[in-house]
Amino acid sequence: MTRKIGVSAAAVLLMLSASLAHAVPGLALKDESLYSKPSATSSVAGKMSKGMAVDIVAKQGGWLQVKAGKSQGWVRLLSVRAGAGGSGGGLDDVAGVAGAVTQKSDPSRVVAVAGVRGLNEEDLKGAKYSAEEIARLDAYSVTRAQATAFAEKSGLKTQNVAALPKPQSSQPSGSGWGEGY
Amino acid sequence: MKKQALILAIALGVYSTASSGGFDIGKVLEAMGQAQQKPKSDPTQPAATQPGTSQPAGNAATTTQNQPPAINLFGKTKTEDEIRIGKQVAGDLLGAAPLVKDETLQQYVNSVGRWIALQSSRPDLPWKFGVIESEDINAFAAPGGYVFLTKGLYKRLNNEAELAGVLAHEIAHVSKKHHLDLLRKSALIGMLAQSVSKEVKGDAGVQNLIGNGAEMLARGLDKEAEFEADRIGVVYAAKSGYDAWGLPTVLQEMATLNANDNRLALLYKTHPSAADRLARLGEAVGDRFDSLAAGKEFADRFYRIR
Repeated sequence: MTRKIGVSAAAVLLMLSASLAHAVPGLALKDESLYSKPSATSSVAGKMSKGMAVDIVAKQGGWLQVKAGKSQGWVRLLSVRAGAGGSGGGLDDVAGVAGAVTQKSDPSRVVAVAGVRGLNEEDLKGAKYSAEEIARLDAYSVTRAQATAFAEKSGLKTQNVAALPKPQSSQPSGSGWGEGY
Repeated sequence: MKKQALILAIALGVYSTASSGGFDIGKVLEAMGQAQQKPKSDPTQPAATQPGTSQPAGNAATTTQNQPPAINLFGKTKTEDEIRIGKQVAGDLLGAAPLVKDETLQQYVNSVGRWIALQSSRPDLPWKFGVIESEDINAFAAPGGYVFLTKGLYKRLNNEAELAGVLAHEIAHVSKKHHLDLLRKSALIGMLAQSVSKEVKGDAGVQNLIGNGAEMLARGLDKEAEFEADRIGVVYAAKSGYDAWGLPTVLQEMATLNANDNRLALLYKTHPSAADRLARLGEAVGDRFDSLAAGKEFADRFYRIR
């Protein structure tokens, strides 16, 4: 039961990448061109404007294919956020997909009964240092050489990437979306 | 509540006068170190469980049997002290939620994590990674290179790049010493509160000064630190050869979950909403990653747990 719930929500973007039948609702975070391909050098197929409700229909690398009004095209993954509504968390309208986890019968409770501790604030406050667990943690750790071998074996290559500057914005949240500021 | 605020205000007032007299936080943390050393009274304990012994730098030489050197939280905290603090926090957290008993999983996560940490600004820390037994959706970092994610979060991940993104965000917290900064502030405030409160005595008082280590994780960092860790995290992941979109994709998934889901309660208490994080990260990234070489996702080899 728990498993099924977990998978259904986790599968949202997986389904996206497989050009799914169900679109996931999203919100445009900025004014942006909709490109005909997942590349900023491709032709422009339309536009979306900040705050617009969109449907996310596919994902490819750092790009999402969206339907915005009558237009459809590709935007950068961070130009849209998944989920409906203005506050960025809950959405009732995707309940069929991701909302399964919001059912009253909270699965974490069930698990708690089965012996797995939850991680609420009280649990953390009452936590007692575990020397045995620290010893296990140490035993699982890998050396620099092992990590390097792991990367080499799998073809992971380092590349130079410049640090991202802190965005200049007057508003703490930057976008005006979301609450709690 | 009101009373608490008053005590704090008084405490801060006390500090402004006490500071000139030289206020020895080191003593306090020294005592904390002793508390942590308690297992040492058992001589049969394996060396690996002894605080400080994982540090090659002459810690042992200057340490008497029961008295580790004082920790200086203010000014420059030595790396070995930072690791001691982190170990305390990590041990507390693991006391609440032990490691998942799956050696393959744990070593896999350590391999990915350590590789990314090698591309961070602090490659030489003794980095340790763990997946902990909890259905909550969350991840934690502690000073000195301790990084954890819950089983609940791990099970939502779809590929290794997403794991890399989550780990890279936590590695960024450690590399920027975010929790150490928080501890500096809270140790100060805790100490001051204690100085005007008769309720706290002896060793219990010492514990209260830094708080239970895990409690620090329940309080979280400020939002700017989280946004910064997102910005640094995507860069660390990309530098390591992973697809840079792992962390943003995880955030996108979280944005589709109901924010009132109990398993997200602690995450959202300690972090800005996924929507805010996406918006802020989007502003920082803009078109800067357009020409980034495509990184690895490794969906096939991603280790899945039951």
